[in-house]
Amino acid sequence: MMKSLPILCLILLSLVLSACGSKSESPQEAPKVFIFARGSDAHKLDPADIDDGESVNTLTQICEGLVRFKSGTLEIEPWLAESYSISEDGLIYDFKIREGVLFHDGVKLDAEAAAYSFLRQMDPEHPAHLPEAAFSYWSYLYQDIVAVEAVAPMDLQIRLSKPNAAMLRSLAIFPAWIISPKALDTYGSAMQRHPVGTGPYRFKEWRPNEAIILDRNPDYWAEAPAFERLILKVVPDNTTRLLQLKSGTVHGMDGLQPTEVTALRGDPSVTVYEEAGLNVGYMAFNLEMERMAIHDLRQAIALAIDKQSFAMVALEGTGRPASYPLPKGFLGYPDVEDAMIVDLEQARTLAAPYKSLFEQNPLEITVMNAPRPYLPDPVTAATFVKGQIEAIGIPAKVKSVDFKTHLDLLRNGEFEVGLIGWVGDNGDTDNFLSVFFGSWAAVKGTATNYSFYRNDEMDELLLTARQTVDSAERGRLYERALALWKRDLPLLPLCHGNNIVALSSQFEGFTLQKIGDLRLSEVRVK
Amino acid sequence: MALLRKIPFFLALYFFASLAIFAAIDAIPGDPVALRFGKMIDAERVALERERLGLDRSWPERYVLSQQQFLAGDWGRSLSSGRETTDDFSLFMPATVELSLCAMLLGIGVGLSVALFAALGTKPWLARVASGIGSIGLVVPIFWIGILLLVVGSLWLGWFPMGGRFDMAAIQPDRVTGLFLLDALLAGDLGAFSVALQHMVLPAICLSVFPAASVASVTFSRLQEPELQAFIVALRSKGYGTARILWRHLLRISAGPTITVIGTSFGALLGGAFLTETVFSWPGIGRYLVNAILARDVFVAQNLLTFLVLLVIVVAFVSDVIVLKLDPKKGGSS
Repeated sequence: MMKSLPILCLILLSLVLSACGSKSESPQEAPKVFIFARGSDAHKLDPADIDDGESVNTLTQICEGLVRFKSGTLEIEPWLAESYSISEDGLIYDFKIREGVLFHDGVKLDAEAAAYSFLRQMDPEHPAHLPEAAFSYWSYLYQDIVAVEAVAPMDLQIRLSKPNAAMLRSLAIFPAWIISPKALDTYGSAMQRHPVGTGPYRFKEWRPNEAIILDRNPDYWAEAPAFERLILKVVPDNTTRLLQLKSGTVHGMDGLQPTEVTALRGDPSVTVYEEAGLNVGYMAFNLEMERMAIHDLRQAIALAIDKQSFAMVALEGTGRPASYPLPKGFLGYPDVEDAMIVDLEQARTLAAPYKSLFEQNPLEITVMNAPRPYLPDPVTAATFVKGQIEAIGIPAKVKSVDFKTHLDLLRNGEFEVGLIGWVGDNGDTDNFLSVFFGSWAAVKGTATNYSFYRNDEMDELLLTARQTVDSAERGRLYERALALWKRDLPLLPLCHGNNIVALSSQFEGFTLQKIGDLRLSEVRVK
Repeated sequence: MALLRKIPFFLALYFFASLAIFAAIDAIPGDPVALRFGKMIDAERVALERERLGLDRSWPERYVLSQQQFLAGDWGRSLSSGRETTDDFSLFMPATVELSLCAMLLGIGVGLSVALFAALGTKPWLARVASGIGSIGLVVPIFWIGILLLVVGSLWLGWFPMGGRFDMAAIQPDRVTGLFLLDALLAGDLGAFSVALQHMVLPAICLSVFPAASVASVTFSRLQEPELQAFIVALRSKGYGTARILWRHLLRISAGPTITVIGTSFGALLGGAFLTETVFSWPGIGRYLVNAILARDVFVAQNLLTFLVLLVIVVAFVSDVIVLKLDPKKGGSS
């Protein structure tokens, strides 16, 4: 009996080794397939009912909108619409639908088909207005749309109740992407997991928590992608993902940690694409808490925090310090950057009368324990901030919780100081300032104005600016809104995190998009 | 008899465990619907959805309902993906079962071999390995072992794929049991079997460290007991060879402790499965469950946790019964 054991082992070993001999996946020899690795899987593949990056980035390959951002910019170009015009009063948008575009299921794109994707979101009686879908973006960015109508076979008209200067940009992003009107008939409510668009790749297979497999769209109307197949692979562990990129098992990845970026910068086999993202990481002061309602204390904290050092510590050079609560270059962004002054002396003087308030009960800084695009290492960031606040004589402590709990605490105002951030949706100033300062966004439970800042003048400025079509005039309104922010200081902007993607250096043609979506169909072999 | 006596205890355990799971998930802060609805929420729609899902009812009502649905196999849908929980379960559970079985077999094989040969006392260094391996296996973090295996086995040697359960380009065997190795054999597809095996090796080694360590240390210390050492000496003095002592006597004696270890380490194995699944991109139930909890996917989390706890209880229970039968000292059938 004993003698058979080693033989058994040998047989098993040879089986394993023979298995290793038959390597069938060797990406270097098969540039027909492009494999991109990311940390988690998509949630759903219905453009009207998603908000996670993985879902959006999957649909970026499959679906398109009437208009889109020119590659690498925030300029709008017509896309599934050949051209468009906006009435002088800003209430009527006319789109000329492009001829000769087919959905992946063979249905022809016309005005009627394009209207479908809007109507299913706005009309609760629509058959594709699925009860389990949230359609949360509709009530948020598109609430001014009152009618979407095919006025001629290839003419689509969108009518608004009041002018909305951000609408055209909102039409370029994912909730406004067009899906086949036949998807519901074909897949029923499973249409949320089986996207049918007009884009460069079409959906083939979803192996949940493993990969989403897309095939090249042979009937694509614009420039065809270079690869026959695109695989969006789920590799949850950061180290494993990086090992896979370095070994050539995958061709590209996102979700890089700052330390990894630093290490990769000198690696000739990998190209790191890095650019300031449209986001801002900030510190929200809950004005409904007794201590944070004291203006001098908020001012003292603002003067105590050295944002340059903060960016070095919290972002390790993969981002930059933030002066204002919106990304640089946005409409209304001031020419002078004077919001980054550090003055410990004055900070101590301002804080001195209130020290006794913290003797028993230190200032509580709440933070999430998982990375976000604006804060790749939130706990380190919070600890840094804590140190700086303590340096002016205010004892502080850090409370770290998981991201969903953190959001819940912030939305319900159950925190004192919160480290959080915002990733812009459509590249418009309104999408930052209204979210942060509008009193309508300061409702417990659904708040995005986590400071619970309420100011009539601010509301008036934001609402007027949203409806002002003249860009120069609109810019002046936002400058005034920012002046109000600076005076009242309901939140303190800290940093802007970079969008980071790494591709194996055998590829080219990739451009980082401002709003962060991945146009992988532009990638080519060098 | 032993079995019958344990049933009330088993039922009470299930009741308290399921109630505890329900209470724990209910106590996680945050409204699952509001959190699922993204960064901008429409309060009205949230209220409608809560009503549709029955989340607006009182907690005893929800507990009873959730138990009825769990036992009826109606596990609801995932809030984030919209997929049926049972569909996801039948997709991810076999992956974890396959991995855990392979790891368990490997772990028992290695653990027992080390302990048995060490107990025979022919090679003194083995005894040190056997007593040391327990603490090492229990202390070294599993994800660290995983990364080490990946770096050595995939990156340096290039022998094994870098994570995943199957080759993206290859055709998967027809799904019968969901265990790829078994399905490939059933289909007579040796190519698929070899691909699945190739993917299995590293994660199975990684996950086997814990059971190997516990089996080795528990069995070894059992065999170190003075009467058993005396027994081995007696057998040797009768002129029996090593093989006969091992196969006829020691293996039988170690069966009891080994099965106890399997029973008790099963829960730990599931915990280890989550880490292994993360490092090796293995699409299993551990990762699915942890993601569900973090995403406040309450129905998924609750039903899966209840099922897994039930499974752990059953395994511990069955192993108890087997041990009773095996060990004459504890009043079994022999």
